Amino acid sequence: MAAEINDDIFFATITELNAKLKARELSAVELVRAFARRLEQLGPRYNAVALPLTEAALRHAKEVDKDLKDERYHGPLQGIPYGAKDLLSYAGHPTTWGATPYAAQVFDQTATVLQKLGKSGAVLIGKLSMIELAGGGGYRFAAASMFGPGLNPWDRSRWSGGSSSGSGSAVAAGLVPFALGSETSGSILTPSAFCGVTGLRPTYGLVSRHGAMALSWTMDKIGPMCRSAEDCGLVLAVIAGGDSADPGSAHKSFYYTPQYTRPVKTMRVGYAPVDFAEWAQPSARPAFEQALAAIRESGAQISEIKLPDLPYGALASTVILAEAASVFEPLITSGKVDQLADAKQIAGLKTALEIPAKDYLRAMRVRTLLQKQIRQLFVDVDVLLAPARLGPAPKISEPLDKHASDPKPSQTGLSSVLTQAGNLAGLPALSLPCGFADDLPVAMQAVGPPFSENRLLAFGKDFQTRTDWHRKRPKTA
Amino acid sequence: MNRPFTRRKLGLLFSSGAGLLTAHAQEAPANPPADLQTTAKQQLRKDSEAIAGVELSPSTEPAFQFKA
Repeated sequence: MAAEINDDIFFATITELNAKLKARELSAVELVRAFARRLEQLGPRYNAVALPLTEAALRHAKEVDKDLKDERYHGPLQGIPYGAKDLLSYAGHPTTWGATPYAAQVFDQTATVLQKLGKSGAVLIGKLSMIELAGGGGYRFAAASMFGPGLNPWDRSRWSGGSSSGSGSAVAAGLVPFALGSETSGSILTPSAFCGVTGLRPTYGLVSRHGAMALSWTMDKIGPMCRSAEDCGLVLAVIAGGDSADPGSAHKSFYYTPQYTRPVKTMRVGYAPVDFAEWAQPSARPAFEQALAAIRESGAQISEIKLPDLPYGALASTVILAEAASVFEPLITSGKVDQLADAKQIAGLKTALEIPAKDYLRAMRVRTLLQKQIRQLFVDVDVLLAPARLGPAPKISEPLDKHASDPKPSQTGLSSVLTQAGNLAGLPALSLPCGFADDLPVAMQAVGPPFSENRLLAFGKDFQTRTDWHRKRPKTA
Repeated sequence: MNRPFTRRKLGLLFSSGAGLLTAHAQEAPANPPADLQTTAKQQLRKDSEAIAGVELSPSTEPAFQFKA
């Protein structure tokens, strides 16, 4: 008898789905068929889908069912459907990078992360939409994508965030149990925060980028976007690890063992009160204050901290633009760059070709300094905490730089620069849903030293046992 | 390595609804307005000045092969 697939299944965690598969309450084929149908039916409502892969997914699911029947278990992701940002190559199928000039691009190889997930029994059911070229040239509008603006499942007049737009909205709307995104400077944290899902940016080099679009070789990372911190840990355990095909690989493994990190009640958490009192948008402040209270209840020691005074925005912009201009030089010089959707992105990429070598080199030298100074911070604290974004998702019609000229708070805080600083230093970060503002999700980011993923996941797991924000569902009917 | 995607394959793809490009497809824009390019150049100059303002010892090497 076919299992009943209802909303509880579509919003279940990986662990819950795995238990049902192992108990034969439902088969991998049933699960994959249900999610694939939902992705095809509802995905376009959010401009979330780049390419459905239903037929291939059902073939894979049949193999998984055979393994499950023969009790050949490959781990918690076996039989779990998922989606991947369309900057990851999947052999023989289009990989568009979200950009019209690459609409018909097809690779012979499958990205390492997709291969690893396939071997674990996870089933790829679709490629998900993204901001064109992951927004490397800068962009002004949510519509900077060949798929149109990513629409937020909590309110379709709002943006789902970028650049992993489809990954964020697909997980939030229960179209996939988890998705892969990528981050160069905020592209996992932002859509995770806006869509109310839990997103993990791994340490630079922990996850292979082989088969992924290069935007900035020294800053690109691939990571999971899920329903919980625990799910992020389960996915990371599969996709992490050394890869000789990725020159940036740290050749390190990851085992999800949050139980062996220091207890949360002994963790030292650094934060800047000004982030919560002045930088956060007024409608989001109550949610952030409640989140801080939940962390205090855990027994963690919270203390005020400041980041080194460095031009983080200028550094991130110079490194990303200079590297992106080199990656996309043929696109820019051929004039095909003009086919991109966002005029600011076009101008940004064209102008980036003019960055002098001395500026890029100096930025990379300052980056060495930044890395040393930020590591020093982690002598005194275990985790840095700040709003992931200062407020909820903006309207899709609004320019994304609308708030740039708003009055500035009295001090700098962490929130305005932590995403850039963390990415420049290659640090891991976890975005945790922590409440609502204007009926839209808001989130905090927890940042740790390199390769401290288990610590962050333990912190997140503890937070999610005290709160249920990660369990909230948007109305998708 | 890329390989060309044939018209036939592309036709099949789009006829099967797999492309899903139409929901909010954007018109390809013309060249960016001159003021956007001017703004981008001004921003590059500002970034350059900000980075130049950081004191560095001559022994500070660039993170050529970046490692976290």
